Amino acid sequence: MGDKLSALWRKVSWAWSPESERESSEAIVKNFWLHWFPAKVARASMDWNYSFWLGTASAALLLILTVTGVMLMFFYVPSTERAYGSIKDLQYAVSFGRLLRNQHRWAAEGMVAVVYIHMARVFLTGAYRGTRAINWLVGVALLLVTLLLSFTGYLLPWDQLAFWAITVGTSIAKQAPVLGPTIQFILLGGHEIGQQTLLRFYVLHVFFLPVFVLVLFAYHMWRIRKDGGLAVIERVRNDRVMAPKAASKTKSYSLFGITPGTSVQVMSSTGLEESDQVFSSPDLSRRMMLVFLVVFNITLLAALLFNAPLEGLANPSVTPNPAKAPWYFVWLQELVASTTVRLGDFTVSGALLGGILLPGFLLGVLTLWPWLDGSSFRTEGRWLAPERRRQNLTFAIATLAIIVLILVGVYLRGPYWRIYWPGQPRPEMPRLY
Amino acid sequence: MDRDRRKILRFIGKGSVVAAFLGQIGAAGRAFFPNVLYEPPSRFKLKRPADYPEGYTLDAAHRLFVIRQKDAFHVISAICTHLGCNVQWKDTEFDCPCHGSRFRPDGTVIGGPAPRPLEWFATTVSPDGFLDVDSATEVARDFRLIIGGKGKA
Repeated sequence: MGDKLSALWRKVSWAWSPESERESSEAIVKNFWLHWFPAKVARASMDWNYSFWLGTASAALLLILTVTGVMLMFFYVPSTERAYGSIKDLQYAVSFGRLLRNQHRWAAEGMVAVVYIHMARVFLTGAYRGTRAINWLVGVALLLVTLLLSFTGYLLPWDQLAFWAITVGTSIAKQAPVLGPTIQFILLGGHEIGQQTLLRFYVLHVFFLPVFVLVLFAYHMWRIRKDGGLAVIERVRNDRVMAPKAASKTKSYSLFGITPGTSVQVMSSTGLEESDQVFSSPDLSRRMMLVFLVVFNITLLAALLFNAPLEGLANPSVTPNPAKAPWYFVWLQELVASTTVRLGDFTVSGALLGGILLPGFLLGVLTLWPWLDGSSFRTEGRWLAPERRRQNLTFAIATLAIIVLILVGVYLRGPYWRIYWPGQPRPEMPRLY
Repeated sequence: MDRDRRKILRFIGKGSVVAAFLGQIGAAGRAFFPNVLYEPPSRFKLKRPADYPEGYTLDAAHRLFVIRQKDAFHVISAICTHLGCNVQWKDTEFDCPCHGSRFRPDGTVIGGPAPRPLEWFATTVSPDGFLDVDSATEVARDFRLIIGGKGKA
């Protein structure tokens, strides 16, 4: 009986723990869950210290968010009268509802952070050159959609944070040249925040934006294969060219790797030697599962230890004092609060300058960066290449500026958005509801 | 001749598919612009003039301040001209809790990001004796509604 069971288990799981190189290769062809991997991947791209597996961690967070999000949909009612109550129910009346919501919230905030750090890794290793520029663009879009998902997500509880975030967010949209008022009207579904507004942001959050993320994510993964793997491979290849060796007779075990102009007999699809490569199963698949497990455990632990915030019920008559955005938007709040320019009678609102033009400029520079980068291709896939020092410094300074603005907004801003230094007494504000 | 006819038919065929598709997209897009809004009217009644004390009184529900200086009344919007939060009256100035805009008692900007002064709303007295505010109509900052006698216009 036990033997039969273990034989059955082996039939199901052999692809994940192959016992020979032949099984490793077959696993990729025969197992649905492994079929999108190449038979072999570069050993260098398995390095924990090269990529920190941040892309995999983002994907793990996306999976956690999708599962917990669909679970939450069973309990959440997108109505201005019942939304807040349904969140309270999740907290106090639904078994493990609080845990579910906590995990969704912390995974969401984690995803914003991890996606950004992933982008920083790609930037600092110069991993966006040549055809990889397309994946950089997809990545920038994914960062943007991640932020939009976070924004539409924290609107749904219909608490004070939600209401005033919509107020400020759609007021910024209204400042857009020409189309601004129309955009605000279509976002709100009217001139004021109401039922239509909540429903629109709800459908965006649970359908349109996630579908958009999944399509971009799939394309992001597909592009990695078309680009021949992580950029670190270019480093290995460049180093090989520096030290030429006799042509080897390595061949790929899978025919999927063949691309035009490459013959199976001469070199493998990645142009790497056999000693540079490892089998996707188990070397890649096991590391991936490990990353998923670690990410899952971290979000679960965070959900057990910390409760997701929930403010008072949305009240159009009372603005919280101060009204602060979540940490990942506080730097934008600092920008809109401090970029109003006055030249005599001529005034440019910070809402336009700091809310639209400046972030738009940042986004534009980020989008075009692969084409602004003039450094040599030898820097590809290398951490902090000396030749790219100026570029890396620019990125680091921009990131540092954002972090400083976030710290100022989160820790120093008090009532009426004034600066209060640590130790300086803050006036007691009556809590109004 | 035969070629031309084919070309035209092909153009009509493909064109009608494209037109139908674009029309469908347009129709779907148009549905997002509501034709009927269930929103409160921009013109509404407040309390009777005599119900307001001297000075600045917040009407939180309508997001405005009623200001009484003896027999003279005027109404200033509580909605910050920067990004729409509610300003608060702090004895000598209006302050905004969202981004720190500050306004003088007449609504003009002292500092902070607000690009314009707070709006002044057209105010009359309704036939049945209530303050009647039209939040869609702005008035100049020298506007005063003078109520003669005991709260009558």
